[in-house]
Amino acid sequence: MLAGNPHSVFMGELLRRIRTSAARLLLREELAAERLASEDKMRACFEAASEAILGVYRDGRICLVNARTEEMFGYSRAELLGQPLEMLMPGRLRAAHTAHRHQYFRYPQVKPIASRNELVARRKDGTEFPVEIGLAHVDTPEGPLAFGMVSDTSKRRKVADELQRANDALRRTNAEMEQFANVASHDLQEPLRMISSYLQLIERRYSPLLDDDGREFIHYAVDGAARMKALIADLLDFSRAGTGAATYRVVNARDLVQNALANLKTALDESGAQVSVEPLPGILVDPVLFAQVFQNLIANGIKFRKDSRPHIIISAVCQGSEWIFSVRDNGIGIEPQHLDRIFGIFERLHSSEEYPGSGIGLAITRKIVERHGGRIWAESQPGIGSTFRFAISAETELASAAGGGRAS
Amino acid sequence: MSQRKTVPPKPFELLLVEDNPGDIRLIQEAFKEGGILSHLNIARDGEQALAFLRQEGTFSKSPRPAIILLDLNLPRKDGREVLTEIKADKTLRQIPVVILSTSTAPEDVRRAYDLHANCYVPKPLDVEKLVQLGKSLEEFWLSTAILPV
Repeated sequence: MLAGNPHSVFMGELLRRIRTSAARLLLREELAAERLASEDKMRACFEAASEAILGVYRDGRICLVNARTEEMFGYSRAELLGQPLEMLMPGRLRAAHTAHRHQYFRYPQVKPIASRNELVARRKDGTEFPVEIGLAHVDTPEGPLAFGMVSDTSKRRKVADELQRANDALRRTNAEMEQFANVASHDLQEPLRMISSYLQLIERRYSPLLDDDGREFIHYAVDGAARMKALIADLLDFSRAGTGAATYRVVNARDLVQNALANLKTALDESGAQVSVEPLPGILVDPVLFAQVFQNLIANGIKFRKDSRPHIIISAVCQGSEWIFSVRDNGIGIEPQHLDRIFGIFERLHSSEEYPGSGIGLAITRKIVERHGGRIWAESQPGIGSTFRFAISAETELASAAGGGRAS
Repeated sequence: MSQRKTVPPKPFELLLVEDNPGDIRLIQEAFKEGGILSHLNIARDGEQALAFLRQEGTFSKSPRPAIILLDLNLPRKDGREVLTEIKADKTLRQIPVVILSTSTAPEDVRRAYDLHANCYVPKPLDVEKLVQLGKSLEEFWLSTAILPV
C-alpha cells in the first residue's frame, strides 16, 4: 500500500466508493429481477385460474381481468377494461347491482354472494347464464380494489333441475301405485264377500242335502275366499302403511309397546309368553303406524315359537344419532339365507298349515320403519332364536327429523 | 242377565238402503235365519231412501222406520250425503242411522261419526256373523235402548 501520498489516498477512497455503489446497483438489480420473477409467477397463476376474476375500483369500471373472464364472457380484455362492470349482466339487473356496488364500497368485506337469489350474467352474444360470486377487496394507493371470483354454475344447476324432476316423477308414480293398491283392494272385497257369503248360505241351508264330497267342496271354496279376504286386508294395510296421512309426535316407545301388548293379549295368554321391556326412549314417530311395528315383531316372536314358552326381550341402545331397537325371541330362528327375503311382500318360509298368516307382516313393518327414515334387519341362530333390530333417528325436533311434518 | 221385553204387537219397521242386490238378499236371508221379527224395507239408492223417509210420491203410504241401515257406497247420492241430509232434517234426525260399510279405514269411520252416524258396522264376510249382527241390532236398538216416539 502506498503510504501517505494524498493523491493515492483520494484514489483509494474513490475506488472503494465506486465498488460499493456498483455492488449496491447489482443488488438492487438482483432484487428487482427477483420481484419481477415473483410477480410473473403471480400473474401466471392469476391468468391460469379456473374461475373468472374481475376487479373494479369505486367507480365501477373494470380494471382487472384474467383469461378465464375473457373465455367465460366472450369479450377480449381490451373490450372489458375501463368499461362499467354492469355490462356483464342482463339489463334488468343492472340498477340493483349498481346499488349493491355502492353499498359494498361503503362497507367493504369478504363474502360469498349466495346464489339464493338467482345471480345471472350475460355474455357478449347476449346469452345469459347462472353464476356464483365470491367477493373480496384489497387496499391500494388508488383506493379499495374489489375483486370477484365468478363461477359459471350452469352445469350444476342443470343437474339439480334434472334430479328434482326425476324425484317429482318418482313421487308421483309412487303415489299413483299406492292409490291403485288401495282402490283395488277395496273394490275386490265386495265380490269376494258375495262369493263367500253365498257359499256359506248354501252350506247352512242345503248341507243335509249334500253328501260328504259336496260339503268338502264347499268347505274348500269358503276357506279359499276367507284366505283371499285376509290377503286383501293385508294389502290394504300395506298400502296404508305407505300412504295415508301421518302425524308425527314424540312418543315414549314404552307406551307403543304397551299398546301392542294390549292388542296381543289373547295370543300372549294362550302361549304363556313372557315379554321383558327394558328402558326405552322417546322417539318422533306417527304413533298409530309405529305401534304396528312393535305389534308385528312381538306377534312374530310369539307365533314362531319352539315348544317352550316364548320369551321376548325389547331393548334399545343409543348409537350416534340413532336409537337401535331390538326385539329378541327364543323361537325357531331363521336360516341365514332367508334373513333378507322375509321382509318381502307375501314371503313365507312355512306353509299356512304350519304357521298362519299371509307373509306381509314384516313387509308392512319395514315399510313403516323406512317411511320414518329408519332401517330394519334381522339376525338369527336357527333353533335358538331371532333378533329383529331397527334404527330410528334420535332427533326429536319436528323440523329436522326424517319425514317430519304432516301427511308425508 | 237382560230380560227381553215382550214382543210388541206390530213388528218394527227397518229401512235398508243398499244398492247391491246380492247384499240385499244376503241381509234378508241372514235376518230370517236369525229370527229377526222386524220388517225390512228396501231403498235401492239415496234418492229413493229420502223419498221413502219423507213419504213422497210412490212412498206416500210408507211407514216411518225405527232404524235406518245405510250402506255408504251408493250410486247417484252417496251414503255420506244421505246421512248428512237425514241428520239435517228436523223430522228425520231422531231416527238412529246404522252405517254398514265394507271399509274399515279410520278416516271413513271418523267421517261417519262426524256426520252424526249413530254407529258404524263393517259388513261381515261370515254369514254367521251377519246373523249375529241382525240379532244384536234388534236386541240393542229395539229392546235395550229406548227409541223416541
